[in-house]
This record gives sequence, structure tokens and C-alpha cells, in this order.
Amino acid sequence: MKLILDVKQMSEMKETSANSKKSKDDFEPKIIAFTCNWCSYAGADLAGVSRFQYPPNIRIIRLMCTGRLEPEIVVKALSHGADGVLILGCHIGDCHYLTGNHRTKKRIAILKRILSYRGIDPRRVKLDWVSAAEGYRFAKIVTEFTNEIRRSGPNPLKELA
Amino acid sequence: MIGKIRELAKRWIAEGKTDAIFGLKEENGHVAPNLFIKKSELERLVISPNYSLCYTLRPKNSNIFSLLERKYPNLKIGVVVRGCNERALFELAKRDQVDLERIEILGIACTKEEALECRCPKPYPQNLLVGERVEGVTNDDNVEALLKKTLPERLAFWNHEFSKCIKCYGCRNVCPMCFCQDCRMEKEQWVKTGVLPPEDPIFHFIRFYHISERCIECGECEKACPVDIPLLTISKLLRRDIKELFDYEAGLDVKQESPLLTTLDETLIKRGE
Repeated sequence: MKLILDVKQMSEMKETSANSKKSKDDFEPKIIAFTCNWCSYAGADLAGVSRFQYPPNIRIIRLMCTGRLEPEIVVKALSHGADGVLILGCHIGDCHYLTGNHRTKKRIAILKRILSYRGIDPRRVKLDWVSAAEGYRFAKIVTEFTNEIRRSGPNPLKELA
Repeated sequence: MIGKIRELAKRWIAEGKTDAIFGLKEENGHVAPNLFIKKSELERLVISPNYSLCYTLRPKNSNIFSLLERKYPNLKIGVVVRGCNERALFELAKRDQVDLERIEILGIACTKEEALECRCPKPYPQNLLVGERVEGVTNDDNVEALLKKTLPERLAFWNHEFSKCIKCYGCRNVCPMCFCQDCRMEKEQWVKTGVLPPEDPIFHFIRFYHISERCIECGECEKACPVDIPLLTISKLLRRDIKELFDYEAGLDVKQESPLLTTLDETLIKRGE
């Protein structure tokens, strides 16, 4: 008896979620996430192992350090159809290479300004820090970012490519 | 004014302060950069048209100072510079492209008209020796117009502007701050080759980003552009941003390191670290 009720509830939930999807024109954002090998990728791993739920919209690319990430790569990702780019590194002071994330922080700040002058919403790029122990924080950041990109809609650069 | 500059240059050579003077020379109606060694030659020294001398100062393995250094290691050269030239020299020195110890700066001021034409924020060098300093131009119509636009308007504006690009690389070639031997704007990996207009936005983004913190606002890119893309607009805005974000202005303090080469607490990240 209880099982049937659960199934009924679930199907109702599905319907409502399907309806809400339709109202947003079925837009599911594609998000590229760059994570560093030592903190954030391990954080993502922990989120998986701990079964924290987060939207399946992100595609993770692992780098040895976010200091490897040239802003050109972010622009390439955006112009090749990504709706958002999420960059996750070690917290400041925890970088495996000591100062890699210092550089990223400065570079991304400049990148965002150029994007805004070019007419691209700088909020499509997000830089944040996730340590290897912060699986929940990883899931939370990804969920929030995906919702934000879903609200802002498809990337206008897609039409250019 | 030109008389005073020639006189000073001659005195420097006569007194042995410098072994030669680097400046523009007029010959048969043409003006080109020249290294003046004899005093008598200095009668041909000119300062107009306002040709960017710094363009000839890079890259390191082929600039005039490095070439001379191999043959004459102790040569000292006086350089006739305007405000923009001096800023470029300072930025190049920070990046190990020129050795300021071999250079004596003969600074000259630009006139009000020249400053207006270049929309120059600081039309005089710090080592000002000849001329009266005039105030720089602080407001820029293109910048203000862009800031008033919304994001979609900016996107449409630049899409149109960059669609005119004929990929002549003029903006890059003339830039005194571009000195890489291997340029990313030419690499298939980054920019699709064999298509016009060049892949947008990555092609122009590479240039804007690479000179973001070192742009000295000489405006040569915009002057060189054959299809009149207002390139200086974004570079000017970035210069403002870098000041706001990192309290850094390119070309003003020769001792202050570029924020992109330092950590968040402003210690220099050494090469190879």
C-alpha cells in the first residue's frame, strides 16, 4: 500500500518537474568545469563517493593546477558552445604548486572584464575554491552555478561559431 | 623646439654622455628611425610625424640595442622619446627586453594638438628635458559610448566591428608591447586558419588579454588598423580596471612589477618557479 503511494507521489513529482522544464524552453545548459588535480578534482570525487546530488550538466576537465588554465581556454570553451565555465582550484594558500591559484585569480578577474566589454555576461565564468575534503561544497557550487546559467539562458556566442 | 633637441643631442655626443643618439631622420622627404653617430648628421633629426620609435625596440634578439651590444658591449645610446615611448621602454625593461642602463632618455613633450589626436592620457615623459608639459586627455568618447551600452548591444557592436577584420595583424605588429617570437594569434590550435574574418572572439581576445596589464595607450593599434576597428577602447578600459583591481599602471613606475607576474601579496614569482 505504502509502495503504491510512493510511486504515485514520484510520478506526480516527475510531472511537475517536466512542466517546469517546458516553461524554460527545455534549455539544459552545458557547463565545462576545470578542476585542479590536487584539491577540487578530489573534492568532486568525494562528492560522488558521498552520493551528494548535483546536476549532470557539468563536464569536468582535470588540470594539474588552475594556474595551467589560460584565459584563452575559457574563451575557446565559450565560443565552442559552452554556456558556462566553472573553474575550481585549491583554496588560496593551499595550492600544491604554492602560487598557481594566485595567478588564476588575477587572470580570471581580467578575463571577466574583457568578456563584459565584449558583450558576454561575465557571470558565465565562475572561479571558486574547493578543497579535497569539501565534497558537499563542490555539489553545492555546481548546483548553484547550473541554476544561475539556466536562468541566464543559452550563450549568445554559440550563434557566432 | 626641434632646434633645442638637436642642440641637446649634439652636446650629449660632444660631452661623451652618449655614444650615439637614436631618433627619426629625414632623408629625401622620408622619415625613418636612425642611429645618429656624427654630430653633423643631427641636423637631419626630426620629431614628426609621430612615429612610434618603440616599435623598433623589440623583440630582444633583434632590437637595435641588443644588436649593437654584441659588437660594442659598452655603448650608451641616447633615445629621443615622447611620453608613450618612455612608458613602452619602462615596460620592456621590466620584461627584460631592453637594458635601461644602456639608454639615456631624451624626453620631449607633445603639443596639445598631438595629445588630442592620440587621445593620450600623459603626453609627456617623466624625464622631460625639452618642451612644455600639457595636460593629458582624460575622457574618451568611445569608452563612454561603450559603457553606456547594455551587454547585447556591446555584443552586436563588436560582432559588427570584428567582422570587418581582414586579419592583417597590423595591430599586433605595430604594438610596442608585443614581442613574443611565437604568436598565439597565428597558431591553428587557438585560431582557425584560412578563414576571414578571423575566428571571433578568440583572435582579438588573445591580443586584448596579452597586452591587458602592459598596454601603454599609445594607440598605435588603432592607428594601424586599415578597417578602423576602435581597438583602443577595450585597452583603455582594461587599463582603468587594472588600476582599480591591482593598483598598477603600465609604464609609470619602472620598479613596480606587473600584477600578472606577482602573487596576491605582490611578491614576484621568479622564472622557473
